[in-house]
Amino acid sequence: MRTPQVSPPGDSQANGLTASPRVMVHFDRAGRDYSARQQLVIHYDIDGLGGESVRAVERSVVWYTEGKGEEDLGVHWFERIDRSEDLPNVCPRGGFEIRLPMSPLSYEGVIVKVRWCVRVRIFFIDTRDFVSEHVFDLGGILPARAPLERLS
Amino acid sequence: MKLPRLFGKKRGHRRTGSEAWGSFAEGLFYSALVAAGLLFGGTVLTGAAGIGWPTLEGEDPSGGWNWWLAILLLLIPGALLAFGGSGLARILQGWGKSQERRAAASASVGLRDAMGHAADEAPGHPGVPTCDDLVNSPGTILRYRLPIESPESWTLLGLGLFAALWNAVVLVLALGAGADLLRGQTDWLLLALLAGFVAIGIGGVVLFVRMLVLTTAVGPTQVEISDHPLVPGGSYDMLIGQGGTGSLRALELYLELEEFATFRQGTDTRTDRAVVGREIVKIWTDVPIAAGGRFETHVTLSIPSSAMHSFASEHNAVKWRVVVIGRPERWPAFIRVFPLVVFPADANGSPDAAVEQDAFAAGGPG
Repeated sequence: MRTPQVSPPGDSQANGLTASPRVMVHFDRAGRDYSARQQLVIHYDIDGLGGESVRAVERSVVWYTEGKGEEDLGVHWFERIDRSEDLPNVCPRGGFEIRLPMSPLSYEGVIVKVRWCVRVRIFFIDTRDFVSEHVFDLGGILPARAPLERLS
Repeated sequence: MKLPRLFGKKRGHRRTGSEAWGSFAEGLFYSALVAAGLLFGGTVLTGAAGIGWPTLEGEDPSGGWNWWLAILLLLIPGALLAFGGSGLARILQGWGKSQERRAAASASVGLRDAMGHAADEAPGHPGVPTCDDLVNSPGTILRYRLPIESPESWTLLGLGLFAALWNAVVLVLALGAGADLLRGQTDWLLLALLAGFVAIGIGGVVLFVRMLVLTTAVGPTQVEISDHPLVPGGSYDMLIGQGGTGSLRALELYLELEEFATFRQGTDTRTDRAVVGREIVKIWTDVPIAAGGRFETHVTLSIPSSAMHSFASEHNAVKWRVVVIGRPERWPAFIRVFPLVVFPADANGSPDAAVEQDAFAAGGPG
């Protein structure tokens, strides 16, 4: 039995927010390492809402590219909860379970990188939204090395 | 109330600037286009610009304008309205929505085939390109013949086009100069210009013929493979055939992994490439090729267990390829490239994955 891993508050953006939300995400796999088609079980806790009223919560599992090129984003799973009767189930505590896809696998290349993450985005009534991102690894691909000279 | 920040910085993969301001500025731009289109179109249609529309009886109040010209003139406001309107619609559609929500919506309404996956994506493998174009040519001995992706062919075509166009210009200049000479006039400036143009034209033809001879003299390279797409950890039978005459000092076969990143630099769009993995599959030395025959041999191609699969998104790609380098005795070396598609393996890499990956990155023998 693997020890579930708690991800500290991830990269977040909260322009002009009076509250200081913190999203703690609990991954069900140690090291947040997953294989293709594996089940991903997530639980999260949101602290520091500071009395702000939440309008909606979006939860997603996405991949994006990093590196020299423009960023590309792919959404594997997305859910928006904005009905007031459903919000207590997802905020300040919630979770979800999904099956990961076959590809693209996480990749640490030289000029191209592919990263997977769980994003929790909170929309407030009186102020701007807050997003928290928690990266995990899909596929166990070893990183690429330094670029090689072109063959001539 | 805090106003959004007008100017932002790039921090890692994020920008600190406000998306709302960006969308607002874009909206202003597209609104200006729509306004210009309405103003221009209105001016043309109402005749305020002094352009009178012809009557059905054929009278032309503007004294020269006709239906075709008037409709042609409406193309400009039409294009402004179409471009501005579609831009405004896109901004309104995405206004107030998160990046993930927009991406999820565009994925669900994007170009999808009957099976529900993107048209250029392998079924069940998001972000992995299809290999349809690589498996539509059966091999003579093995299952598939790989298509060639030779940069030499494009260089040859470019040189040929340049030589033809340049010499056409030279011919026009020469005809003008010849006509002057026949009339007994000598335009020294034209003759001096012509001499320089002729020298460049001859140089272009010589370069083209040399490259043509080089490309055709070494003969075609054929690569066939036992299966496609490939998977990490898999081993495949590969047939290499090299035609031509004479012998080669060496024939080298490499497996390469290359990354492509497309980015904007000012108003330009650039693509950067980096070879991040190379494995020597096999090197043959002193390869004789009999006249009318060809050198033909089989090798085993292995893909490292923990290697990245082929990947393609809008601005980024990871591509696999087989590179054949021939070093003829009398001619310069030639390079021929054969693209491959590697799908992700079903299971994780083997315990030896790290060792294999090290050998692959270092370009060690397979």
